Amino acid sequence: MEKVALGRCDGLLLLAFPSEGSDFVVREADLAPIRAELRGLGATLVVVSATSVWQFRPDDDVEHFERRLDAAAEVERLTALCGIDGASGPTSESVFLIEPRGEVRLVSRTGPGAGSLAERLLAALSSAGRAVVAESRRPVRISRRECVTSALLAGFALASGNACAPVRAPGASRDGGASGPVSAAGAGPGELDVVLTVNGERRPLRIEPRVSLLDALRERLDLPGSKKGCDHGQCGACTVLVDGRRVYACLTLAVMVQNAKITTIEGLARGDALHPMQAAFVAEDGLQCGYCTPGQIMSAMGLVTEGRAHTDDEVREHMSGNLCRCGAYPNIVRAIQIGRKAI
Amino acid sequence: MEPFRYLRAEDERHALAASKGATYIAGGTTLVDLMRLGVMRPRALVDISGLGLAAIDADDGGVRIGAMARNTDVAVHPVIAASYPVLSEALLSGASPQLRNMATTGGNVLQRTRCAYFRDPAARCNKRDPGAGCGAIGGHARMHAVLGVSDRCIATHPSDMCVALVALDAVVRTRAPSGAERAIAFADFHLEPGAHPEVENVLAPGELITHVELPKTAFSARSHYLKVRDRASYAFALVSAAVALHVDGGVIRECRVGLGGVATKPWRSAPAEAGLVGKSPSVAVFRAAAEAAMKDATAQPDNAFKIELAKRTLVRALVELTERA
Repeated sequence: MEKVALGRCDGLLLLAFPSEGSDFVVREADLAPIRAELRGLGATLVVVSATSVWQFRPDDDVEHFERRLDAAAEVERLTALCGIDGASGPTSESVFLIEPRGEVRLVSRTGPGAGSLAERLLAALSSAGRAVVAESRRPVRISRRECVTSALLAGFALASGNACAPVRAPGASRDGGASGPVSAAGAGPGELDVVLTVNGERRPLRIEPRVSLLDALRERLDLPGSKKGCDHGQCGACTVLVDGRRVYACLTLAVMVQNAKITTIEGLARGDALHPMQAAFVAEDGLQCGYCTPGQIMSAMGLVTEGRAHTDDEVREHMSGNLCRCGAYPNIVRAIQIGRKAI
Repeated sequence: MEPFRYLRAEDERHALAASKGATYIAGGTTLVDLMRLGVMRPRALVDISGLGLAAIDADDGGVRIGAMARNTDVAVHPVIAASYPVLSEALLSGASPQLRNMATTGGNVLQRTRCAYFRDPAARCNKRDPGAGCGAIGGHARMHAVLGVSDRCIATHPSDMCVALVALDAVVRTRAPSGAERAIAFADFHLEPGAHPEVENVLAPGELITHVELPKTAFSARSHYLKVRDRASYAFALVSAAVALHVDGGVIRECRVGLGGVATKPWRSAPAEAGLVGKSPSVAVFRAAAEAAMKDATAQPDNAFKIELAKRTLVRALVELTERA
């Protein structure tokens, strides 16, 4: 059986099973509120009917895959995992919330009620929001693997990786055809095998080309020291060194720095011994909340290597790409001046 | 961000062959940002960072800058700092050290506007969505252009580097997928929005910028960039001026005037240059040239301040340059 890999399964996943016979039509006008809810939840919504799978993400086009699958059996299985007795029927509509660690919750179950399916989905999304906030009474944990196995039997797969490509089935509604002239090895709409050299270690991973270096570090390589502030190259919290030069990891595509040496804040200390620049930030209290600090320190490392900033004014100018919302600038400048001389 | 196909090109030929329907990516500082916003949605990216186009070669005839040369490396290159100071100053006044380490020469030539309406897919924008209308005209237009505007678009060209290049008679070298090479005078490279704001330059589909050349001139070495902005650093220009003068026997023999932050493309001001040539440098001469430069300016209520600010910025840039030498 051909698999359909669903994209970006690292956040919340909402699985909706419309009641049998639902005429599933989502108009453009309905999409915006659904996307807004999904964005708020950081969630992906997957709607599974007997013949099709639709995937909704906050910022992407709706993906549609045509597949025959036993949705009723999947509903039963997920219901059982939630520890809820029967009560499901072929006509009821169920929405499940699956958290990244595998907790499954039933967030809504209705009969073929009033309103369009889009409206009912929106209501279910609101319930999901409340369910996330509320303490779950009976969280049931399943492993992703369990989900995968069963789902495969049902005819579709939740890819076990984190950020995975939508692999469109032949005949899928969009972009299912040939890829044009960019078809040489290395190209492709899905994931690529890449090796990043981070803090002296070679770290293989499989990612889509659209994954930023920052997301690769934080979400895939367990290096959350580099921070995501603006995600648009405006704040500097994500600053890392690439081949010794400071750059913004949020505007760097991870696939583009495979041949480079990447240094993050985690790569500065030697065991428990802080790097002199880190020690200077601690000693001079070069922070308040600390969120921008890894970026400040990595930027300072770049500044020292560049060797073009000496006076306080020069340090300020050459640190202009790192914002500190708390306004700890006087101590940051002092820390860099001390750290610079200690290196 | 929309999914896309990715290809790392091994050489120029490979990149050009793969260019159909694709977008080249170099430093990515504009492109990745706009892709994340949903403003640009390329189906495929061709990575040109492996093309070996990062060299900066200087000889008696001038300087040849590879399209992949990073802004930092261009700015601190000893020949550029000494013989084309306006370029070095413009680059160092732009963005932040991190962005300058990433951004490339070719990419900066193709930098997209920072117009908030362009950057918001929910807003009306003729540049992003031809025919949709312009939200900036009659909207919040404090950062927008007063020169080269049309009734379709008033978006400012944001680059500092390009303002310096237009004052240095730079030449953009390109290669087309057919293999044909072109040399395009910098002042002819960018287009005013007119009826088609979506067409920003004269590049044909797939045509790749390979180099930017700086000729040796009488005025390049005596040149200066002055940028006025909302904060001391790391901000786009409200107004900027790139000036270059060749003064001989107390008379301005040749000059270039570029203006940034006020125009829809890197702006070379022929009226200002005409007002300077043949005159002895003085504040009165500079002021008259500045008046000429802004004579045809068309402002919105929000950005009318730019007209006087541009005049004063140009005068001050010329004063600083003549006092320096």
